[in-house]
Amino acid sequence: MIKEMELAPKGTEYDFYFGPAHPGSGNFGVKLKIDGEIVVSARADPGYLHRGFEKLMEYRTPIQNAVLSDRLCILEPLNWNLVHAEAVDELMGIEVPERAKYIRVIMAELSRIQSHIIWYGVFSKGTGFDTGFKMAFGYRDYILDLFELITGGRVYPAGYICPGGVRRDFPDNAKMKILKVLDKMNAMIKLEELENPAMNARSKGVGVLRLKDAIRLGVTGPVLRGSGMNVDVRKEEPYEVYDRLDFEVPVRKEGDAYARYWIGIEEMKQSVKIVKQALKDLPDGDVIEASFKKPKLSYKIPEGEVYVRNEISRGEAAIYMVSNGNSTPYRVKVRGPDFLHMIPVLEHLLKGAQIADVPAIYWSLNICPADMDR
Amino acid sequence: MTKKEIKLLDEINNKFKIDGRIQREHRIWVSINVNKLIEICKWLKEKGFVHLSAISVTDWLEKKEYELTYHLWSYDNKMLVTVKTNINRNTPTVESVSPIWGESAQIHERELHELFGVKFKGNKDLLPLFLENWQGPAPFRKDFDWRDYVREKFYDKKNEREKVYYD
Repeated sequence: MIKEMELAPKGTEYDFYFGPAHPGSGNFGVKLKIDGEIVVSARADPGYLHRGFEKLMEYRTPIQNAVLSDRLCILEPLNWNLVHAEAVDELMGIEVPERAKYIRVIMAELSRIQSHIIWYGVFSKGTGFDTGFKMAFGYRDYILDLFELITGGRVYPAGYICPGGVRRDFPDNAKMKILKVLDKMNAMIKLEELENPAMNARSKGVGVLRLKDAIRLGVTGPVLRGSGMNVDVRKEEPYEVYDRLDFEVPVRKEGDAYARYWIGIEEMKQSVKIVKQALKDLPDGDVIEASFKKPKLSYKIPEGEVYVRNEISRGEAAIYMVSNGNSTPYRVKVRGPDFLHMIPVLEHLLKGAQIADVPAIYWSLNICPADMDR
Repeated sequence: MTKKEIKLLDEINNKFKIDGRIQREHRIWVSINVNKLIEICKWLKEKGFVHLSAISVTDWLEKKEYELTYHLWSYDNKMLVTVKTNINRNTPTVESVSPIWGESAQIHERELHELFGVKFKGNKDLLPLFLENWQGPAPFRKDFDWRDYVREKFYDKKNEREKVYYD
């Protein structure tokens, strides 16, 4: 991990390279300047996963882009599917069937649960609690099995949530299996709530993010809620059927790594609640809009522009799509929450931190290099 | 469409003498001359639009213009105002909004500087972000085709197996 170690004249300052091959750090590096035990300054070094999605999408039709949008974030492809599908729906003026809306919400919330489980897993790993990491990835697999049953892909659903609705209906046994998996998730949540002293000691009071700084740095989602602001796109401008569902937004005031970890657990509880309600209310009917039922060679996207915001497990995700009337979008701008969490926020939090706190801060932000680099 | 959107649009009309558009609930679009950009941004920030959701550039090749869009969200009013402004495509220079929104604006501008070559006056840190040792033109411009570049740079026409990429 140490790329170069230069001794400053003083003899105590040196450069330290955290990543990009660190287990769990993802394809991302931070250049740290360290004086003794204290991080003097941090400089994010992104770009290892830059694939240029915004440009790739300009060459492809919405149906192809639906598959491409999986890859925006490895850890929560279904949520990104939903953002992309909603942008195309709004541009083309498609009325999504009621059943499809409920299925979209169920899949997005299941995806949020598994993403939060990974968060808990890598955070445990970063703070030296290996059992938590292994339990998390074990329990996450139950949800991946569900995804395989419903979408056909364990991690990548291959554009299951597509413009017009969803690709196919739930199989007959899906409802029963989802309920069973939710019971398993309750077991996982109980495990997460067992506070172990080592993790508390490593997360309480570490990486404190004040609300004033958080807003200036462009923080959204669970990290902002951990700093004491009650915001959630699902409540602010409800999309799909979130306005009909009853759930709460957990908020903590402390702004430290422990608060963010706690928000993750509470959000999982709320997601379980949402999935149960949506399953109960799930109406019958079509799952895809009539004109999308049979594949056509090309769809013309009407001229216009939209900005669609969603709450994904990491924060605010948005797509700005411009069309000039062709079958491919003219410009797509993807706004990922981690673009801000991993560059300005991380640099801000690491400055002045202890070197031993670097992993705890890093993983408490629920990071995903894929959606930062795009 | 609710009252608060109409009210805000009226205020913008009175203050800056420009027309806006209400797309739907929570969404307002306004276009403004680049000279007045900083003025409207400062005014909107004071109105409660503290969250800069994104900055984007659209490259209109035929009009020879870059269209800059600033997506601003207000936590109090629950509205998204998109401020649009046009600049020349060949010499894209614009005043930075980083003194207004701080680091979040700074990092968005740094990205756009790399991908579109827009110069943001007043932004202190515009070093390359994603690309390493990139010498060519700004890669997200419409007149730069990645596929041609990859064909020329990485494939060999004489190679039997790579011939297909040239058909």
